[in-house]
Amino acid sequence: MIRIEGLTILFESFKIMNLNIQIEEGGFHFLLGPTGSGKTLILESIMGLHKPKRGRIWIGDKEVQGLPPERRGISYVPQDLALFPHLKVRENILFGIRARDLDMKIYEEYVYALVEVMKIGHLLDRYPAHLSGGEKKRVALLRALAPKPKLLLLDEPLSGLDPSIKVDIQHLLKNLHASFHPTTLCVTHDFEEVYFLGDGITIFIDGKVEQVGRRDDVFLRPNSEKVAQFLGAKNLYRAKVLKNEPSSQRLILGVNGLQFSIPMSLYQDRIEVGKEVDLFIRPEEVMILRDGKLVKDSLKQNIFEGKILDISNRERYYTIYFQTTEGKILFEISIPNYAFRNLNLSIRKMVRIALREESLWVMV
Amino acid sequence: MIGAAVGIFIFYLGLILSLFYFVGGKGFWEALSHPNTLFSIRLSLVGATLATFFAVIIGLPSAYALSRFKFVGKGILDTFLEIPMIISPVALGAAFLVFFNTPLGELIQTKGIYFVFEVPGIILAQFATIAGLTTRLMKASLDEISPRYEAVARSLGSSPWQTFYRVTLPLSFRGLLASVILSWAKAFGEFGATVTLAGAMPGKTETMPIAIFTSLASANIDKAIVLILILVAFGLLVLYSVRLTGKRVRYD
Repeated sequence: MIRIEGLTILFESFKIMNLNIQIEEGGFHFLLGPTGSGKTLILESIMGLHKPKRGRIWIGDKEVQGLPPERRGISYVPQDLALFPHLKVRENILFGIRARDLDMKIYEEYVYALVEVMKIGHLLDRYPAHLSGGEKKRVALLRALAPKPKLLLLDEPLSGLDPSIKVDIQHLLKNLHASFHPTTLCVTHDFEEVYFLGDGITIFIDGKVEQVGRRDDVFLRPNSEKVAQFLGAKNLYRAKVLKNEPSSQRLILGVNGLQFSIPMSLYQDRIEVGKEVDLFIRPEEVMILRDGKLVKDSLKQNIFEGKILDISNRERYYTIYFQTTEGKILFEISIPNYAFRNLNLSIRKMVRIALREESLWVMV
Repeated sequence: MIGAAVGIFIFYLGLILSLFYFVGGKGFWEALSHPNTLFSIRLSLVGATLATFFAVIIGLPSAYALSRFKFVGKGILDTFLEIPMIISPVALGAAFLVFFNTPLGELIQTKGIYFVFEVPGIILAQFATIAGLTTRLMKASLDEISPRYEAVARSLGSSPWQTFYRVTLPLSFRGLLASVILSWAKAFGEFGATVTLAGAMPGKTETMPIAIFTSLASANIDKAIVLILILVAFGLLVLYSVRLTGKRVRYD
């Protein structure tokens, strides 16, 4: 278990206040924040390169705050990778084992397994200058993992790669984590990375932690408009709580005369009738209904009719801009390419959309 | 523009070639083998090497600190490195003479080493002239090496020292070497500060540049030319070696 408590960093124009992160042994935790929010600085402070103003860091039950970087057992993969250009791939990989004076015999099999997973066996005698972007990432990851760190720090590990290679490395990271379970803290601003790899997420905006949680909780249920905005929330509406229906355990919310129904159970007593709240639904959680097809019970409460205003193709999915007939509420809807083809959609076509109750999220 | 560049080349080449007008006379060979000439050459080589050695001992850690750390007064310190480059070497030598007449200076001389009009004075004067330059050049070489390499090396278990000699030093080696060579060349050709502090005593404190000056003053043209040619030869050798070290390293 990694525990970072009350980390406060004041450095140049950066002001990072009271950061708390907990990562289970073998967990993959993301620190997600906008570019230029001091994420690298946080990693360098955890590593021991910057002295934070306050804060404590535990690795297991050992407090490492106060130890120099070389004695913390933390490996670091910077964004620019910093492969040692004067050393061959093999020497780069073994750098940590040699620097820590570890017994090569014990590590040999493990390092060999890593080389296999990373598929870099044929690169061992090359210098970093002769590697492609993807190969460099693999070598840098392997170099960091070779001495079996207690914590692996990754700084935007998928930045600067071609899309196809990015996908490769993403899968590789996932396999690597599944096979070797390094406890990992990764900073990024890339939601896709987080969605694919992370299990825990800390959302970090303007030097402050805004939300901590499991991946799905954070993405589907941001706790503030700020987080929702940062996560690229498109369908965010100011709503008023109209009714509380204890019989059906539902809350009815109104937006521009349109009524939305949500389960009460998620909010307990936090929402009172008459209160103004933010209502949010992710674009990929909005369903376009096919004519004549039966609708599931969970969808029946929130069905709206309207018109498609615009359609744009985003390579792997389509974005549909939809406006309800009543209330003129605009929805952005993401659907995969195959679904788009099945639905036979076109601009100005009248369709019905359905919102799963659980996907509607209210921020109080 | 190329014409201007060629013009400069011809200007310097012509200057050097003109020296050969006087080469080959009987006096030339005599001057070359004269004990005082040989002494000057030896003294210059040893003096410049020692001055460079001390400049590196002080300059390398200073350069590292200036390149990597933030500390109070860094800006002032950085500016001070340029002092020997902007003030006349004679003024620098004169400042030393004044210093060694203060109580502290006298104490150093009586209890420690005599500098004024002595060989250590040569080394001190040359050191003072080049230390700032050495630090500056070395800092520039270190600046080119991203501190991220060091950060990664530290995270992988290297102590600061190990990081320096396993990562920083090999990566900046050529730049550092070029800095050392250029500093040595500057010390080797130093005149103003040296002559002011150590004097111009033949067979004692007369380095090559000083010997050139005194030979001219005593109208010994042959000796002056011998020494100038040797200086030029060393200079060209130095420039050539800097060019060799300056070539980009290719790891393949």
